[in-house]
Amino acid sequence: MALPAEASTGFKFDNVKRNQLLGDKGYKLPTATKTGTTIVGLIFKDGVVLGADTRATAGTIVADKNCEKIHYLAPNMYCCGAGTAADTEFTTSMISSQLALHSLNTGREARVVTAMTMLKQYLFRYQGHIGAALVLGGYDVTGPHLFTIYPHGSTDKLPFVTMGSGSLAAMSVFESRWREGLSREEGIELVKDAIEAGVFNDLGSGSNVDVCVLTKGNVEYLRGYSRPNERVFKEQSYKFAPGTTEFIDPAAAQGEDATAMDVSA
Amino acid sequence: MSIMQYNGSAVVAMVGKNCVAIAADKRLGQRALTVDMDFQKVFPVTDRTYVGLPGLATDVKTLSDRFRMRVNLYRHREERVIEPETFANMVSQIMYERRFGPYFVEPVVAGLDKKNKPFICGMDLLGCLNYANDFVVSGTASDNLFGMCESLWEPDLEPEELFETISQCLLNAVDRDAVSGWGAVVHIITPDGVITRDLKCRMD
Amino acid sequence: MDAQFAVAGKDFAISVTDKTAASSIVKMKHNEDKTYELTPHTLMSVSGEPGDTSNFSEYIQGNVRLYGVRNLQELTPSETASFVRGELATALRSRRPYQVNMLVLGYDAKAGDASIYWIDYLAAMAKVPYAAHGYCGYFLYSVLDREYRPDITLEQGMDIIKKCMVALKTRFLIQYSDYTIKVVDSAGVRVVSMDDI
Repeated sequence: MALPAEASTGFKFDNVKRNQLLGDKGYKLPTATKTGTTIVGLIFKDGVVLGADTRATAGTIVADKNCEKIHYLAPNMYCCGAGTAADTEFTTSMISSQLALHSLNTGREARVVTAMTMLKQYLFRYQGHIGAALVLGGYDVTGPHLFTIYPHGSTDKLPFVTMGSGSLAAMSVFESRWREGLSREEGIELVKDAIEAGVFNDLGSGSNVDVCVLTKGNVEYLRGYSRPNERVFKEQSYKFAPGTTEFIDPAAAQGEDATAMDVSA
Repeated sequence: MSIMQYNGSAVVAMVGKNCVAIAADKRLGQRALTVDMDFQKVFPVTDRTYVGLPGLATDVKTLSDRFRMRVNLYRHREERVIEPETFANMVSQIMYERRFGPYFVEPVVAGLDKKNKPFICGMDLLGCLNYANDFVVSGTASDNLFGMCESLWEPDLEPEELFETISQCLLNAVDRDAVSGWGAVVHIITPDGVITRDLKCRMD
Repeated sequence: MDAQFAVAGKDFAISVTDKTAASSIVKMKHNEDKTYELTPHTLMSVSGEPGDTSNFSEYIQGNVRLYGVRNLQELTPSETASFVRGELATALRSRRPYQVNMLVLGYDAKAGDASIYWIDYLAAMAKVPYAAHGYCGYFLYSVLDREYRPDITLEQGMDIIKKCMVALKTRFLIQYSDYTIKVVDSAGVRVVSMDDI
């Protein structure tokens, strides 16, 4: 059966020529939401700890003060994303679906290297145009694993990693305090401190600290583990008296909803 | 000048107590020239879900038509009405499909789900969802709207209070934006139905 | 550099276009009609890139008329405008898009009302009571904003048109010697002579 055009998969390029035309006319093409981010991961005695801040930016505007940057990949794997927000979101969710199918086919839990390979091959195929910089962590049959994946498809396997615009601030914390055989509590605390270094020293990062601890057969997602920037709520109310805003009721004025779109089939 | 500023637009959505509101200006321009003062940017998707489409006017029309078709297909295939969160994901998917040649629109979705729980979210032009439990803003006046909403919004506003708050946020934001304004429309979505009002607005 | 504008009342719409076909600084023609009758009750005026205007308009005219013949039922003005916009939006995504601005004027016999659809070269569309394209807009929207009332008669509509022409004559660098004026109403489309207004 032929699928309707709307159900086809893959990217569509039908707007590209039109957008190029507009670009040639001198109109600046807009920028997407970026996660000017601090994301980190480290290996401790019994597994992996991932951490992320929660600020999303559009230019210099804070678009979202509490977004989620630690994405679900599989029951034993999570992935932090930095870069173009849409790309990290969609890339991880697509790989997550493929991993689910993979483990259903094999009857086994997917390995972290499998996810890493799928991600790097996908990103390499798009030659860096998909702007996703990832920190992948998980615990599988071969133990704990931690990877970084760059937008062009290169990867690193290291015991502690940082990424995003706050990576330098976070790395300075890791470099001075990470050691082999950290306890669970020490690991979480170090990750929290690394993210907070990004939150307070990098303008692209901010708000709260999300933490995710992956150990053998267990995942603990600590959303808002640290909230060092709670907003003190306004003491005064700025409610307006009813009737402040002048309006006309289009339904009463014209007998029917003048702005309603026909939503019938 | 950015292509997003070619036609001018402002859209805002807010959560209240068991209700949500979505509001937009009504201007259509070509740069500094105003062409229409009754241009629709907010579209009903179902009885209790609305979508706001600020951005390039040609894409507003293309997308509103496309969303209508997809929502109708969904209704026929699933034999039920689409939920706001499902619709937001549908919009997001349609936007990201054109990752390398986007529509110049930053959609806003607002609605009540089947349990009457408020839902609002915003998106960038690539379809990256931004869920919020307070307010979302979009369009050329978005910076102004951020400032207004951040100071005027408070939790648990009743429908009439929400109307005043969202209206004042929008009106004062567009008054400091040269390319949006010239009329505004507000929809307050409550479990009992939708209240639609045209605001009296500065026309300069 | 074309002049192209329109005004609609409750049950009529008036289209005005200049009659000049220009190439660079040369007037090639003095009696060009820049409007196309799409259905007996729908008229489209066009301006923009010379080749594109006639090419696109004739394609639209052919297909709208074909629809009428095939279905024994003409498209309504709003349907016609949607079709025009859709075709332009599709063409916009091709290698060489049409650079045309359009006004679709129509009288809907069933609803008994007249309408104008403003469509620019990016395929943005708006239903408006009065409209202008190009440089004309900068001179005429002020006149139209002041003079227009929703309940104007055809005579009052013609008066507004006259005032628009005066505005162009006094303030616009380019002088138009002659205009095509057409009225769309329940009787269909008819040409109005410059001497009659």
